[in-house]
Amino acid sequence: MEFSHEVKESYAEVKANGRLNMVSAPKLREFVTDVIAAGSNRIVVNLENTAFMDSSGLGALIGCLKAARQAGGDLRIAAVQPQVKMVLQLTSMDKVLTSYTSADEAFSND
Amino acid sequence: MTEVLASRTFRGPAADEAIESVHNDLDSLWLDVPFVGDMDQMTFTTAVIESASNIVQHAEPVGQEPVELGVDVEVQPALLQARVSAYHAKPPFGPMTPGSPDEEAESGRGLALIEALVTTVTFERQDGTNTWVLTRTSEHG
Repeated sequence: MEFSHEVKESYAEVKANGRLNMVSAPKLREFVTDVIAAGSNRIVVNLENTAFMDSSGLGALIGCLKAARQAGGDLRIAAVQPQVKMVLQLTSMDKVLTSYTSADEAFSND
Repeated sequence: MTEVLASRTFRGPAADEAIESVHNDLDSLWLDVPFVGDMDQMTFTTAVIESASNIVQHAEPVGQEPVELGVDVEVQPALLQARVSAYHAKPPFGPMTPGSPDEEAESGRGLALIEALVTTVTFERQDGTNTWVLTRTSEHG
């Protein structure tokens, strides 16, 4: 899995490309922690190219959400693909991790 | 005799690389059986990867030999079956039933997720090997 990020006007967009599994989950957490430490506390994780997520990946997203909130911000997810949507729904975490159609939309009403 | 339409077998050290290999095996398996619906492919892949990850993360060796992961997946008419094994492993410790972690918990959702994804989950232990057998009744065939 590959990560990249871009600081936008009102948030930082993190792109996670590949499989978000037990191998890549700790790396996502580290990556987002670094983005927060660099001064962004409003994070959008763009999952457009994340074809797969398991419970480890979900755990990492929750960890990142908590880190963003502790920094006084929030974390939202965007462009969720069908498998990721299924995992979010089956674990009822779709209520905690708010999903938006696109990264631009995620913080547009704040 | 059960008709097997396609299958994949993996066996190797229970390490990070094994998870990517098993996932690649599953992706290639589905190419052999395009009549298996997207939902069946998606749910079964997720359940197998969850189970294999559970072994890589938690299985402990019973003796000198390191734990090995084995994954055998078969597509049968109207049935998907996977045997996910930990060789040279201690019996699993801790609860074998799914927990219900609070919404801020960062782990503990795997077993519940597996149960939601498949039709049956059974556990066998024989000769130092723990095996989880997952089946999903498929809509094809």
